[in-house]
Amino acid sequence: MSAFLARNRLIVLAYAGMVVLLLVTAMFSPGFLSVSNMRSTVVLAAFVGIVALGQTFVIIGGGIDLSVPWVLNSAAIVMALLCGGQDLPLIWVMPLLLAGGAFIGLVNGVGVAQFGVPPIIMTLATNVILQGLILVLTGGSPTPSAPALIQFLSVGRIGGFPVVALIWLALTLAATLLLSKAAFGRHLYALGTSATVAEFSGVPTARTTILTYVVSGLTAALAGMLLTGYSGQAYLGMGDAYLFTSIAAVAIGGASILGGSGHYLGTVAGAMVLTILTGLLPALNLSSGALLVVYGAVILITVSIGSETFAGLGGRIRGRRA
Amino acid sequence: MDLVTVNGLSKRFGGIVALSEAAFSARAGEVHALLGENGAGKSTFIQILSGAVKHDGGSILVDGQDYRPANPDDAQARGIAAVFQELSLIPDLSVEQNIWFRHEPQTMLGTVNRTQTRRNTLALLEKYDFPTLRPEQELRRLTLAERQIVEIAKGLAKNPRILILDEATSALPAREAEWLLKLTRQLAAEGRLVIFISHRMAEVRAIADRLTIFRNGSTVAAHEANTVSDDEIVTRMIGRHLDRLYPERVPTMTQRIALKVANLTSGSRLSGVDFSLREGEVLGVGGLQGHGQRELFQALFGATKAGGMIELWGKPAAIGNPRQALTGKDGIALVPEDRRGQGLLLTKSVRENLTLSVIRRFTENGLLSRQKEAALVKEMVDFLRIRAGTPEQLAGTLSGGNQQKVIFGKMLLTEARVLLLYDPTRGVDVGTKGEIFQLMRDLAAKGYAILFHSSDMPELVHVADRVLVMRNGRIAAALEGEHISEEGILRAAMLETRAA
Ligand SMILES: Nc1ncnc2c1ncn2[C@@H]1O[C@H](COP(=O)(O)OP(=O)(O)OP(=O)(O)O)[C@@H](O)[C@H]1O
Ligand SMILES: [Mg+2]
Repeated sequence: MSAFLARNRLIVLAYAGMVVLLLVTAMFSPGFLSVSNMRSTVVLAAFVGIVALGQTFVIIGGGIDLSVPWVLNSAAIVMALLCGGQDLPLIWVMPLLLAGGAFIGLVNGVGVAQFGVPPIIMTLATNVILQGLILVLTGGSPTPSAPALIQFLSVGRIGGFPVVALIWLALTLAATLLLSKAAFGRHLYALGTSATVAEFSGVPTARTTILTYVVSGLTAALAGMLLTGYSGQAYLGMGDAYLFTSIAAVAIGGASILGGSGHYLGTVAGAMVLTILTGLLPALNLSSGALLVVYGAVILITVSIGSETFAGLGGRIRGRRA
Repeated sequence: MDLVTVNGLSKRFGGIVALSEAAFSARAGEVHALLGENGAGKSTFIQILSGAVKHDGGSILVDGQDYRPANPDDAQARGIAAVFQELSLIPDLSVEQNIWFRHEPQTMLGTVNRTQTRRNTLALLEKYDFPTLRPEQELRRLTLAERQIVEIAKGLAKNPRILILDEATSALPAREAEWLLKLTRQLAAEGRLVIFISHRMAEVRAIADRLTIFRNGSTVAAHEANTVSDDEIVTRMIGRHLDRLYPERVPTMTQRIALKVANLTSGSRLSGVDFSLREGEVLGVGGLQGHGQRELFQALFGATKAGGMIELWGKPAAIGNPRQALTGKDGIALVPEDRRGQGLLLTKSVRENLTLSVIRRFTENGLLSRQKEAALVKEMVDFLRIRAGTPEQLAGTLSGGNQQKVIFGKMLLTEARVLLLYDPTRGVDVGTKGEIFQLMRDLAAKGYAILFHSSDMPELVHVADRVLVMRNGRIAAALEGEHISEEGILRAAMLETRAA
């Protein structure tokens, strides 16, 4: 048990931070811990968490995915357009768009793994290209409203639980299995720790890298569709906030931004922390500008706590001689 | 008077005792060897001396004054510099930027004075007769040996009174190692103290005035070098008598060809290599460093692109990358040259490192079985006697020799029966070296086929069944039987042979 705590110190820390933040928020706005409020907090966190799932994989593998905003946005808008407010088309539209998200991820992954394009450049480029395509496609005109079924997936409940939260839970389980219980996870951590050592150890480095971007494309597209249900419609720029929050959730969750460490369970706490913060600030009567300032500060602090341990360890190892 | 006196020095890392009540004393103007088996605490000791690690208890006197460095700068202020291996260097900087890092000569404006830097670099390299180094070269382009030499230059740039060399020769080829030994004597003659750590007894013999032996974190003996025999030293070090370092060379070779290489070519480094390796054979690869040995091993493992033909166990093999090389019973596995850069995930556990190449083997329906993994890890840790607190200890915190054992274990866990060992005993203590050679012979007897390169020539001479000598990217000679000798290898490595 203590070994577990030591190994996952940063993740435990993220959850501790989450609890503290909850209590502080409850102090300022007494209604915060109410069931209905917790429910809506979890729903909002779920969108962040789902996008951040792919981001977690990519970051552990030593990359970064900056294309999530417009993968998300594209999925949202194309879904609204294709469905025209009807439920029935969802049967093929959802799989199609998930495949579309995966395809964008494939393009990112192949660019990074096979052609050696730096992840920042590669994913930034796909992001801008998608943005352009969507602008051309819509001509800036509003899209039809979201089909009822997708609204149910985002705001509906099953036995009192928000459906989207259940989806998030299922995804968390799947991600945890992949990271902790599958060969893929070992390969991924090795890749992010040292690509050269991974390669020399027979890890399928290219395939593993590509897979992380594919997962990221999938989760961003899924989040886009669910978010459309939540807002009732798709609109331009709806993905923008998720670039920062998805990366921040991973960092707060204890992953090294340089790759090789972290876990999706930490990211889950990170997504919660970010969402609770958004709830805390209005209670403090702060503006949304102030929210951004606090957001930034929180990231900076958490990441520097993380990197302090990292630097300590790194120094330790660098200092060691044969 | 002694320049350094250490008493009752202790250091533990969590539950692991690295030093307990170690004592040490050395004078100015001597070469003082520090000996001990892997994990004895030598590196921990010098890390304390050089301010990289703080001790828990005990006292250190330098010049008779209390010495308690808070960081490496403190150590430097007292004239102490340590030569670490490659990792304290920065790959993106040039050779000279690395040498003067944080101590660059400055202009009046506070910027780096480049002309002065260059002048100082050239003066330093000349003063100590350094093997050719180009000051402007980017560090990442250098070989391990060259990086080691830069590291030595960096230590000397601080003009220390006490220079510590922690296994600095282990990454060097014969000629450069020779140079370093001479340099060490020169430094001592200048009145400096050199603390010299090495697992090569011959080197210690050649230069040490006195020696101190550590065992399990404590000092077990301190001697004038000329008053003890090798045998006594080794016995003190490993706590038992070592009958022989090199196992008996019982021929176990069969007629079956495990690896056949024809016309292997890669850029200018490998130009048409042909040979075959038989089942049960230990085939040595020697020659002067830089004549294609590294490229040969990497090409066979699929780590660098090469043309030509490779057959494994009679079947043509397409080895495009290490993963293909490692796959299956007909695979081929490598113990790479650069243990930290290619062999080990330093920030991951011994367990994760050991099973990385074969992790798929522990999955059932796609899920890992931790029990199965743990069982095999334990077996390997016991088999190789890897000294780790638990299998969860981070590989980067193991002593050098134990890191090497982990890499060995990782390779043995694969099914491959053609093994490429590139300097597998680097940084390994005598006792363990003996075990590794024995292991190589045992594996050969079991039908493995082993290609073996060592920067320590006597190892080739005493362990290999045959020795291929490389020159200019070709096999210049294949030595057998009584023709295998250091002299024979050197002659073949240097003489012009008739155009092949
Ligand atoms: N940061 C650390 N965490 C845990 N254990 C450590 C750490 N650093 C060193 N050790 C342990 O301390 C012991 C002494 O290690 P040290 O590196 O000093 O040995 P050494 O004599 O230099 O061995 P070698 O000849 O193999 O280089 C080893 O058992 C090692 O695993
Ligand atoms: Mg050591």
